[in-house]
Amino acid sequence: MSDALHAAVAGAQPSQRAEKNPDAPLFEGAYKDRFEQILGCYPNKRAALLPVLNMAQELRGWLSPETIKRVAELLELTPAYVRSVASFYTMFSPRPVGRHVIQVCAGIGCDLCGAEDVVEKLLEATGSRLGEMSKDGKYTVVEVECLGACGFPTVVQVNDRVFENVQAEDVEGLLKELD
Amino acid sequence: MAYPYAHPRESRVLSKHFGERDAIGIDGWIERGGYKALEKALGSMSPDEVTEVVKGSGLRGRGGAGFPAGLKWSFMPKDDRPRYLTCNADESEPGTFKDREIMRWTPHQLLEGCIIAGYAIQAQHCYVYIRGEFVDIVRILNGAVAEAYERGYLGKNILGSGFDLELTVHLGAGAYIAGEETGLLNSLEGRRAEPRIKPPFPAQRGAFDMPTTVNNVETLASVPHIVLNGADWYRQWGTEKSPGTKLFSCCGHLQRRGNYEVPLDFNLKDLVYDLCGGPPEGRQLLAVIPGGSSVPIMKADEIDCEVSYEGIEAAGSMLGSGGVIAMDDSTCMLRAVRKMVEFYAHESCGQCTNCREGTAWLAKILQRIERGAGREEDIPLLLDISSNMVGKTICPLSDSAAVPVVSSIQKFEHEYMAHIRDNTCTAVG
Amino acid sequence: MEREKQALVTVTIDGMPVSVPEGTTILEAAERLGVVIPRYCYHPGLSAPAVCRMCLVEVEGAPKPAPSCDQQVQDRMIIHTASPEARKARRAAVEFLLVNHPLDCPICDAAGQCELQDYAFETGQLDTRNIEPKAVLGRGKVTPDIVYFADRCILCTRCVRFMDEVAQEPVLQVISRGHRGYIDTMTGELFEHPFSMNIVDVCPVGALVNEDFLFKARAWDLDQTASICPGCSQGCNIVLGTKENRVLRAKPRPNSEVNSFWMCDHGRKAVVNWGAGERVEVPMARQDGRLTAVDWARALDALTEALRGQPGGGARAIVSAGASNESLYTIRKLMDLVGFEGGQFRITTGREHVLRGFPKLALRKDRAPNGRGAGLLGFERADNVFEAAGQHTGVLFVLEDTLEGAPEDFGADAALFVYVGSMMSHAARVAHIVLPSPTFAEMEGTFTSFEGRVQRFDQALRPPGVARPIWLTTSVVLERLGGGPAFRSAGAAFASLAADFSEYDGLSYEGMGLRGAAIAGARPAAVP
Repeated sequence: MSDALHAAVAGAQPSQRAEKNPDAPLFEGAYKDRFEQILGCYPNKRAALLPVLNMAQELRGWLSPETIKRVAELLELTPAYVRSVASFYTMFSPRPVGRHVIQVCAGIGCDLCGAEDVVEKLLEATGSRLGEMSKDGKYTVVEVECLGACGFPTVVQVNDRVFENVQAEDVEGLLKELD
Repeated sequence: MAYPYAHPRESRVLSKHFGERDAIGIDGWIERGGYKALEKALGSMSPDEVTEVVKGSGLRGRGGAGFPAGLKWSFMPKDDRPRYLTCNADESEPGTFKDREIMRWTPHQLLEGCIIAGYAIQAQHCYVYIRGEFVDIVRILNGAVAEAYERGYLGKNILGSGFDLELTVHLGAGAYIAGEETGLLNSLEGRRAEPRIKPPFPAQRGAFDMPTTVNNVETLASVPHIVLNGADWYRQWGTEKSPGTKLFSCCGHLQRRGNYEVPLDFNLKDLVYDLCGGPPEGRQLLAVIPGGSSVPIMKADEIDCEVSYEGIEAAGSMLGSGGVIAMDDSTCMLRAVRKMVEFYAHESCGQCTNCREGTAWLAKILQRIERGAGREEDIPLLLDISSNMVGKTICPLSDSAAVPVVSSIQKFEHEYMAHIRDNTCTAVG
Repeated sequence: MEREKQALVTVTIDGMPVSVPEGTTILEAAERLGVVIPRYCYHPGLSAPAVCRMCLVEVEGAPKPAPSCDQQVQDRMIIHTASPEARKARRAAVEFLLVNHPLDCPICDAAGQCELQDYAFETGQLDTRNIEPKAVLGRGKVTPDIVYFADRCILCTRCVRFMDEVAQEPVLQVISRGHRGYIDTMTGELFEHPFSMNIVDVCPVGALVNEDFLFKARAWDLDQTASICPGCSQGCNIVLGTKENRVLRAKPRPNSEVNSFWMCDHGRKAVVNWGAGERVEVPMARQDGRLTAVDWARALDALTEALRGQPGGGARAIVSAGASNESLYTIRKLMDLVGFEGGQFRITTGREHVLRGFPKLALRKDRAPNGRGAGLLGFERADNVFEAAGQHTGVLFVLEDTLEGAPEDFGADAALFVYVGSMMSHAARVAHIVLPSPTFAEMEGTFTSFEGRVQRFDQALRPPGVARPIWLTTSVVLERLGGGPAFRSAGAAFASLAADFSEYDGLSYEGMGLRGAAIAGARPAAVP
């Protein structure tokens, strides 16, 4: 992660990466600077909520109650409010996730073109169940609603990478590429 | 080349440089004539003149509603409150992926549009609300924003004009309804993306309670071309009511899926069969959804129509966002409809009773019919539930969920009956 | 007259014309005509999010039905609240709300006072077309006293908005979204707020219930009586819910001048627990040196005789700021017969909690309902009420003070010691006469709130034994001793009070109605 992000995009960094540390200190060092940059982009603190939650998840991989409380404190909101907002958005995870969060598009465009087979193959190859972290902590496979790339089915997003035109037979190769 | 396929029958304005890696960076973009329109607007036009040109071009909002963009700008009150421009880059309508490609290949095209629009409405800050799932796209956009700031296209005193504009890329976090303009505003403000009651409209009370214009990516990306070349130039394409060119995202059972840019008087059937190559070898086209999953389904024999707003409407559907979903005869219509309804059930914000309960109820009934436990009385039930969901809620998501159900029953009732009566599917192969 | 300055618009609702100020919503305009449009998310004390879609009405010329709670009337609008279109919309909303509702009315606390029940019945939506399995979400506590039944919840968000807009502590929220949504606090935490129980009141169904009240009574078994909360000096207008001669709950009674639609948790608990403990049930008089139960005639005779003897030293009293104006006044009159030497009262205090969204309302520091009244009737507040009264050698009255903390020899020196109270008191053992009196819930009368608002409460319970209000019983003594005619009613006692104390000038028991009225020249007392 570059330390010198432009303030205008400080809050707009992909929130899932392979390197996550559930105990990482929040909003320290470069992240504190980014926090300040984000605040500077909005007329009030509440508006910084999504970008700040995003940054917290980028660090820790998920939003624990403790993370939510810390964000609430920093933005002068109630923890219940922050929980409510976070729970509205499906990209914020309320539970720990695997090193690789594999999101398979289950939207109509991909479904017409065999997304179901891709999901099945992914579950088989990762030895996990839909939405649950694999035993080795490496993968969490989830079905998500339309990823907005329907022309390139099936779309599979792994952390901050997007794979287009994935077929069931590509799954083994895709997983290899992640390691 | 258009992306990922080119076709000589396209009229490429927005997509002219799709696929050209060099066009992504600011130097490559300037080499291709980028930011000339901005120089023209800031250098020689008043904000009202810019609005007038866009009004004159007849450019209609490309997000789905088709409201004239210039007219929308003219609603902004001219008082001394802060004003905002919000670019809706939350592209989420199933079947639509045009904004993604605009940002992926020509991020500066969008930024130039944002800055010109910001100038026209005299905004002080532009927020680009981009859906959080666009991880790769947001990196590209972020890079472009940093470049634009570096070159003085954003920030204080842009091009020495005295006009200041800050721009922030704001990432969504997984909520289709944040693409509805008032849901977007709530989300931008750090709230649940629940749509607001209108009125007040965003132009009166939008982001942070201040006058706000919300425009779609494709709409804003069209603006530099119109400003540079004039309203009449833009009107060389399309129809009186639907001028210009538009990107059509084509997906589903097609030989060449992708984005195609055609004038709005183009023929839908030609788009499907000629540009996209029709259904895969050996398949017959069954149905087409021409404007994203929330518009009525058309049967294969109904698509010989103009792709203009009025043309598709006359043919019984809507242009919507221009997401063309093609289904061939291997499609189980019931499954396709169920998938679409499940999407809306998943994405309903849950504020309004009819939508929250109706979407989930419809999905459960469709699931049951697909399982083979359907009843003939489910057909009138589905229709009645749908009618109770249309026009009864704050935003149109509820209507959107009812549309595929109603139109599929109207046109493919035999598919439902095959499932209900014989527990079989009419899908071929 | 702010309202009169506003332009009026005239609309027709269900064929009836009505003129209302500009900006009035259709729902409010309809209420002026007595047309109650069904609603769930709308509550007059909260913002109108227009989400339940229950109050949709047909507006002629409009493309779709309008949410009447949000839509403002426009001149010459023609509105139908019961047309086929409006009825279909309403039926649809009820049907949707019942799709996942457990229909567990037989074990639901809200049954009988449930708006979902009411409107399901009214719309004829008693049968469901739904055969799909219902979602099951479960239940959990949201405060130490309040349980949330998620499956009954219709997500109207009244509770969320109460905490957000009125309490202004947004600690209760919608979690998740769409049909998976439910109401909750921060993960694993309960919230506490001095006004939390209002969320139970605003809940139109049985989703939020008070654990204290859970399964205690069916709504239709409760008798409802208008009353005034005795928990502090605010004077919240309330309704007592009683069954089998017990107060089971108190709920706020709307009064925009005092408590809007709200009341605090302290008050609710105070009301329910009021009068718990050993009660004085019969009059007692000292006979052969011992306090002996007597009938009222003997007790009043004894009191008459004792006062007629004009014992020297005048009268002193310890009264309670929880006693009604009429009771305090009667004691005062009795004291005047032998020379008023002064009387004192004490008030327990606690932390003040202002309701931020309606700051007129607070749980006041003074945790008694009638300190202002006691003061106006000539009694004075003291920290130590025993100092002056304890050594008094003349006539000593005690009214409703339990004498907790009194010195061992309290009252021993008094020539006549009369204890009037609802609660038994150890210190009263040396009294010459003990008269049983009812609690506020067992009688009618008035309190004077901290800001000088006189408000009536009605009798909700039967008093124990032969306890009777002091103004009724001892006014006979007054009459015998030439202190004016006996009071046959609380109203008569109040009329006499108003004639004697100029602050109450112009007020009448009937005239103040159930909303109360401010005393002459009342300025809101400075909030301490």
